[in-house]
Amino acid sequence: MIEDIIKAYNEAVYETDKDTAFEVVNGALAQGMSAEDIIFQVVIPAVEEMMSLIVKDPDANLAQHFMTAQIAAEVTEKMLLLFKFPPEIIGRVVIGTAAGDLHSLGKRIVMGCLKALMVEVIDLGVNVTAEKFVDAAVAHDAQVIGISAMMVHTAMGEHGCAEVRKLLKERGLEDKIKVIVGGAPYRYDAELYKNVGADTWANDGVSAGKVIVDLIKEVKSHVTA
Amino acid sequence: MAILIVHSHVGTRQFDITEGQNVRDALDTTDWRVRAACGGVGSCGACVVQVESGGVSPLTLSEYQRISADARAQGWRLSCQLRVYSDTHIHLEHLAHTSVWHSIPTADLMPSPCKFREIGEYHYGVAVDLGTTHLRVTLWNRKTGQRIASRKGLNPQERFGADVLNRLDAALVNTDTAQELSRLVRNAIMKALRDMLAREVGEIRLMLPEIGLITIVGNTAMLALLTGQGYSDLLNPDFWQARIDCQPIDYKKWQSQWLLPNAKIIVLPPIAGFVGSDLTADLLATQLCNGTQGAFLLDVGTNTEIVLWTGKTLLITSVPGGPAFEGVGIRNGMSAESGAIWNIEQNENGLTLETLNHEPARGFCGSGLVDAITILVSTKVLKPSGRFAQPNGGDGYALVEGNSRTVITGCDVDAFQRAKAAIAAAMETLLELANMTWCDIERLCMCGAFGRHLNIQNAQAIGLLPPISADKIELNADASLAGCELALLNENGLLLFDEITANAQTFNLSLIPDYEERYINHLLLKPIRAETAHD
Ligand code: B12
Ligand code: FES
Repeated sequence: MIEDIIKAYNEAVYETDKDTAFEVVNGALAQGMSAEDIIFQVVIPAVEEMMSLIVKDPDANLAQHFMTAQIAAEVTEKMLLLFKFPPEIIGRVVIGTAAGDLHSLGKRIVMGCLKALMVEVIDLGVNVTAEKFVDAAVAHDAQVIGISAMMVHTAMGEHGCAEVRKLLKERGLEDKIKVIVGGAPYRYDAELYKNVGADTWANDGVSAGKVIVDLIKEVKSHVTA
Repeated sequence: MAILIVHSHVGTRQFDITEGQNVRDALDTTDWRVRAACGGVGSCGACVVQVESGGVSPLTLSEYQRISADARAQGWRLSCQLRVYSDTHIHLEHLAHTSVWHSIPTADLMPSPCKFREIGEYHYGVAVDLGTTHLRVTLWNRKTGQRIASRKGLNPQERFGADVLNRLDAALVNTDTAQELSRLVRNAIMKALRDMLAREVGEIRLMLPEIGLITIVGNTAMLALLTGQGYSDLLNPDFWQARIDCQPIDYKKWQSQWLLPNAKIIVLPPIAGFVGSDLTADLLATQLCNGTQGAFLLDVGTNTEIVLWTGKTLLITSVPGGPAFEGVGIRNGMSAESGAIWNIEQNENGLTLETLNHEPARGFCGSGLVDAITILVSTKVLKPSGRFAQPNGGDGYALVEGNSRTVITGCDVDAFQRAKAAIAAAMETLLELANMTWCDIERLCMCGAFGRHLNIQNAQAIGLLPPISADKIELNADASLAGCELALLNENGLLLFDEITANAQTFNLSLIPDYEERYINHLLLKPIRAETAHD
């Protein structure tokens, strides 16, 4: 039974068919599967599967990224309401769009995937100052700051990631908080993330999920070590 | 349409020519211009060509005067007098010097406005539409209301980046660059003017002081870079909805550089950070605000500006929907030049690809891309999500088997989806803000070069244009130039511009939460839903 559900769900997600995805999930609930099992055995593996597929598939496009993230996030939100105990989260991320930039869509996909991977996401919105990124990360005890920038001048500008790095250094937080960037300019120049002082970057929202989970683990191992 | 086959020492090329059109006018719109030093009235004799065969008009009086009997017997003609009625071969011995300037086909220009001002002296005038990619310039006799000549050429700032942000960035980093950017455009305007005077009037020096007025429209970034004013505010989101002041400080300097001592220079003021005076010009030329019913205006360019006229007020926004429609970021994308696939028809025998000037296909211009994607979706090669039904490993799909210039890739489709989603979602957001639906829309004006060859049904099928009756959709490619000309010829041009936008409201879509949701929904390649309700 579970194999069939996984297969049907994966197909629906790959075809970006939200209605069918929900039908599959509701069907599984009706058959007595728990919300916890749906998340951990169906949804999360599906997101992971999608990551490897999308990364390999040169044709994967924006509509598909959105739908995948959207479906995953919506299913997860719905299932979380049905959880008997609050789920254990892997870690925390504060995310936002760089100062001067109002493009919110990129981080939306990233957030969708993170939620589905049981990472708590605090959305700081758009046009976020470096100060606010760092303060929020400290206040929420987050392991990772995610900065999205869709325009060349907001990616490279002095008030974006570069300033976040400066503040982290000044406040001695560099081991506790890692910085990941993403957005169109970084895709055109795979080395750009280094120039702006980020620890890493991700090409798309779905692979961002994995990179961020790894970052969180890295920080946690530091802190406990 | 007839075909004009031109043989010259550099080779042979074919051009479309409207039956009855003269050869000079037809070639003036291309990069194979004949030599000329009069307005095409047969007085300079510079435009000679030799007819080899074909259906052409009889000799005119001026040809008898300018061309010897021997030469006439060998088929020599004045190309400005020579009208073509069926496919014709000509020999063109002397091409004019290659120039970045070509005239704009008359069919693309809107008819000249008919009211003229009382003008005592300096009654010539120049209208300039300053676009990110192209510059369009026309020369007028303001007294008689006659358009003497038109020119179109590339914006020379292009080497500092195809998109406006790169140029703004370059200007911000270095004030020398800022000055260079301004100088490049001023030089280009001067060169276009001189080209028109040399070829169409046959006199430069004496004419320059006769020019009494220059009106300039453009997008805000272009005007800011031209005047060196306000460009530092443009990248700041706080100024998005604000008026940016970009008036030249130093008119006198421009006048003396241009050698136009008597020319008043009016830079028509843009509406907001990303809404230029080219849009106001569109509004004037299309008279969008004259109706009492709902109407949309789209100016598709590098930046796409969108206006909703509710019948009472104007709602304005802009989205970065353009470059894909001009071929930027598309593997086989190109602008509408020779060899661009501009129209694709589907019939029993398969696909017929039409290229500009019947040259072998070099790539797709915007309208060709719309046709290609529509056909791929209707034949189920592509799914509405934009994915290929049969994965092709990123190599894409060739519309003509074995012809790599006709390949469309998944990335191309993605870029197209993003651009069209930005536009469609913006229109829908404005409708919602005005509490209207598509049924309330009686008119939609498509301005900008992209609209020129657009197949409306196809654009509707994949959700770029809304589901309103096709006869309500008008294609007005050069409206912004026409509006600029209105300002040039009208007694109170500047006032017209101020009036029409006085009560306009501008919206920054990034600040409207629903926009994001709509954008995602509009990524799909399917018709826009008639009802605007969202999930
Ligand atoms: C939609 C859009 C808009 C919408 C934004 C709506 C919204 N709420 O976000 C609107 C219309 C409001 C808009 C406005 C503007 N835009 Co805009 N916009 C676009 C467009 C079409 C798509 C961008 C987008 O959202 N993509 C969706 C994301 C999801 O795609 P993505 O980059 O592939 O994202 C993936 C990765 O980058 C990664 N990722 C993203 N963020 C992050 C973050 C982290 C931490 C990680 C790990 C990964 C990651 O994951 C994502 C998912 O897979 C692009 C052009 C294009 N074709 O891309 C222009 C574009 C980005 N915009 C541009 C411009 C110029 C503007 C404006 C200045 C123009 C205007 N008319 O106002 C304004 C600026 C507003 C401002 N100050 O920010 C330019 C920037 C040019 C440049 N040289 O930098 C672009 C490139 C268009 C162009 N070619 O001119 N825009
Ligand atoms: S005679 Fe033909 S252009 Fe002057």
